[in-house]
Amino acid sequence: MAAREASKCATKIVRPLLSSDKSEAKKRVLNLYKTYYRQIPLMLFDRHLPVSKEECQIKLKEEFLKNKHITDVRVIDMLVIKGQMLLQEIVTKWAQDCHIMTLFKDTVEPKPNDFLSKFVNNNDSQ
Amino acid sequence: MFRTTLQRTVPCIRLVVAPGQFRLNSNAPAPPSKLEVFIDDKKVLVDPGTTVLQAAALAGVEIPRFCYHERLAVAGNCRMCLVEVERSPKPVAACAMPVMNGWKIKTNSELTRKAREGVMEFLLMNHPLDCPICDQGGECDLQDQSMAFGSDRSRFVDIDYSGKRAVEDKDIGPLVKTIMTRCIHCTRCIRFASEVAGVDDLGTTGRGSDMQVGTYIEKMFLSELSGNVIDLCPVGALTSKPYSFSARPWETRKTDSVDVLDALGSNIVVSTRAGDVMRILPRLNEDINEEWLSDKSRFSYDGLKRQRLITPLVKDNKGNLVPVEWEDALVATSRALINANGNIVGVSGGLSDAESMIALKDLLNRLGSEQLYTEEPFPMTGSGTDFRSSYILNSSISGLEQADLVLLIGTNPRYEAPLLNTRIRKSYVHNDLEIALLGPKVDLSYDYEYLGESPAILKDLAEKRHAFYAKLSKAKRPVIILGAQQFEREDGAILLAQAQQLSQELNKNADKGWKILNVLQQVAGQVAALDLGYKPYNNLPAAKVLYLLGADNESLTKCKPAGTTVIYQGHHGDAGAAIADIVLPGAAYTEKQATYVNTEGRAQQTLMAVQPPGMARSDWKIIRAISEFVGVKLPYDTLNEVRDRLTDVCPSMTRYGDLEPANYLVQASDLAKDLSSQTVSTPLNVKQITLEDFYMTDSISRSSPTMAKCIQAVRKQKESKYYESRA
Amino acid sequence: MAFNLLKQSANTVIRNAVVPSSTSVTRGLFTGAVQLAKEDKGLEQVYTKKESLLLDTNNVIGKTSNTSVQNYIEVDNKVDLSSVTGVPEEHVKTRLVKISKATKNVMQSGTDNTHNWVMEFDNRERWENPLMGWTSTGDPLSNMKIEFAERTDAINFCEKNGWKWYLEAENKTRPIRSKSYANNFSWNKRTRTSTK
Repeated sequence: MAAREASKCATKIVRPLLSSDKSEAKKRVLNLYKTYYRQIPLMLFDRHLPVSKEECQIKLKEEFLKNKHITDVRVIDMLVIKGQMLLQEIVTKWAQDCHIMTLFKDTVEPKPNDFLSKFVNNNDSQ
Repeated sequence: MFRTTLQRTVPCIRLVVAPGQFRLNSNAPAPPSKLEVFIDDKKVLVDPGTTVLQAAALAGVEIPRFCYHERLAVAGNCRMCLVEVERSPKPVAACAMPVMNGWKIKTNSELTRKAREGVMEFLLMNHPLDCPICDQGGECDLQDQSMAFGSDRSRFVDIDYSGKRAVEDKDIGPLVKTIMTRCIHCTRCIRFASEVAGVDDLGTTGRGSDMQVGTYIEKMFLSELSGNVIDLCPVGALTSKPYSFSARPWETRKTDSVDVLDALGSNIVVSTRAGDVMRILPRLNEDINEEWLSDKSRFSYDGLKRQRLITPLVKDNKGNLVPVEWEDALVATSRALINANGNIVGVSGGLSDAESMIALKDLLNRLGSEQLYTEEPFPMTGSGTDFRSSYILNSSISGLEQADLVLLIGTNPRYEAPLLNTRIRKSYVHNDLEIALLGPKVDLSYDYEYLGESPAILKDLAEKRHAFYAKLSKAKRPVIILGAQQFEREDGAILLAQAQQLSQELNKNADKGWKILNVLQQVAGQVAALDLGYKPYNNLPAAKVLYLLGADNESLTKCKPAGTTVIYQGHHGDAGAAIADIVLPGAAYTEKQATYVNTEGRAQQTLMAVQPPGMARSDWKIIRAISEFVGVKLPYDTLNEVRDRLTDVCPSMTRYGDLEPANYLVQASDLAKDLSSQTVSTPLNVKQITLEDFYMTDSISRSSPTMAKCIQAVRKQKESKYYESRA
Repeated sequence: MAFNLLKQSANTVIRNAVVPSSTSVTRGLFTGAVQLAKEDKGLEQVYTKKESLLLDTNNVIGKTSNTSVQNYIEVDNKVDLSSVTGVPEEHVKTRLVKISKATKNVMQSGTDNTHNWVMEFDNRERWENPLMGWTSTGDPLSNMKIEFAERTDAINFCEKNGWKWYLEAENKTRPIRSKSYANNFSWNKRTRTSTK
């Protein structure tokens, strides 16, 4: 494989999206998390979703923790913005029940992850 | 060549130049080594002798052309490349005119455009308007250039009086379809045939509008490189017969890949549509195939759809192979492997890729077996396969262009590696290369000095007794090419030792760093197998399990050892699958991303153009799956991880595209010293002597109907009254 | 209208949510659910809490008066956008990108489309659609073929998107061989043409 040329320098100076440092970004994330958390009972009251409050809370935590490895302040900000957009969609009901339920993937059959079942079931993709 | 102002103003001065003044002139400062020309007012410095077209290319201006081709001689007959040169009364043909100092060339002036438009109009006057049913449509130079440079309306109204010119089609073989009415007489095919392929079959008859391109007499254009005239033809006069009316260039997907049907690893483009390989085209690579491709590599793709193994097969109680699911096949395989208790022999075939070979090696090693062999033989006496330089083409394919003398021993490169032969021919034509042949007399498409077919001559040469040695020893850059098929002989080791000794002798007078000894392999998988530590087999030991990784070799498969379970993994139901107890369907070279090392030691990778058919899988994955069933799980799950393992074993194998040179030629020769004094008497022989031997050499080409038609055509040609053997 | 009023109050909430140190006391929900909930005493407490609830993108992207936005910040050079691009995770982790420069098509003499570095994904299964005979694929990235002027641009793009990539070396060009029409007729060279 060719040498990875891109990651030579350590840091660079860029324009921020929202937050000027990590602590500020963290505050935004926590704030968004809280807002979602408080919206859950309202959302459930509002809609007929086949999930309980606890399940929603677990899912919420899961969705946030999915991105816990991210350290780039701008990416965190962008994720916060996207989270806000989704929250707005949930609140205003632009997102319908089915859209919320896609987060739970209750109709999705999990794809096999280990080598053997992939080998036996799938056609030959990389 | 260059005009001085003095000479211009006083033309008669030339007449009064005395011989003494000539000498004076030669002492004067040399003329500037670079000429200064202006292409559309852009200054370019070029070497003397550069044509206008080449100079324009340096300036980034592409001049339209039909007859001119980079790799062929200048013909200058299409007139499409006419450009205006300042102070020249007429437009000049850019492809044939060398530039002169200070020329101002206008490639987009009114005169130039008018000239191009006129040429286009003349060409189109006799060109049929059948683009909608023409196979060249979409990749046609005439289409493109009439759009870019032609007139926007036609003045052709002569339909009722004389109409368009029409020419009878010719039958020039099963590969190339001719629609001669479309021909614009660029003569590219003629020049290719006589210059590159070395077959003077094509030519023109008649003049003016009666001119025709043809073969003079009724015969087929049979050459191992005939498919290239399809690429060269700028219009649809020569198109591919197997591909005719099957796809359009804009609806196919192109995947860059590497050919594995000979040991050169020519670069190819695989065009696919909806999971089908539609055709194979050469891909430009100056180091290997330039832009040519042999007919076997180009046309045997229809063999990829026939005789395929698409499901795992296991032998039942009655001894019949029955299709089973992957789980059952893997269980059966692992049971056989476990029961063998380490008494397993693995043999890799000529089309195997490096990933599957390393996986098989790792698996068998984990099961306690070190018996991994390649199908192709190689002498293990002397240094054996310890030095890489003993089994690769050391001077490299493009390096042959620098050679001044080539000695071919026991090989017919014309059919074993057609593109290596074109390199030698290229040097023969342009650099006055001398060639000598030791082996059966064959038609190499160029003249050579025939030394005979007795291997004793090689010994004489090595011991400086033969008359030809005088010529050899004078060569500054001699090349010895030894055909790998000679290792099938009992005394192959002696031939190699003598060739090594000879090359060491020649080394004394040769240029420093020049490598003389070359081995021309026959199959694509051999160098990678030897690099990975597979041993060439000479005598197969008896084993409880014989694991054939695409090995179809006759000597291997003709007598199945009793009491041995044979597992065959491969893509074609050939000889190997016929004797197998368990068959595991693998992927062919167009269906997997895999590494191959060509005969000069250059690692290259194929890319997956289509999915393997049915239940077939990439080869390394099959072995990886078996390893889990056997209980010795191999530590790689993805292609990248396999390649990391490959890199650990052989770092050069994942440096794709790079040539990995080898050394220790002296040591290899020293270790084989005691062999070289032995005498061999059986005359040398090669497998591929005539064209009909060329078409079917492996499991893919053997199952290709097009290749079968080619063989038929050659046989038919032999019966023709015009046939004459050139050998 | 009532809607505007609601929105106004919502905006304040949003601002509060964005600026973490806010202490303003507002409540604001404007969905039908809230209106229903007004009658429900049990839920009263939920929305009377002095908490921020809603956010709006207009208020957050570059329009806040936060002074830190004007300044520049320092981040790692390696940017990984794969979490915000919306590309499914399996198409980030399992795909391999080839970065190469196209070679000239041997069927044609033109050289357009060979001057750029192209990134392409590995091939996935395609099949013929039984309805019309067109080609179908389940691969959302199969048509993503992007051209770049420089190979570093292509590499950076792949790095940013989290794709594994490999670079195919640029094809060598050979030095110009001087060609001459006269070679066809040279009397002592093998370049002399025989048939014509």
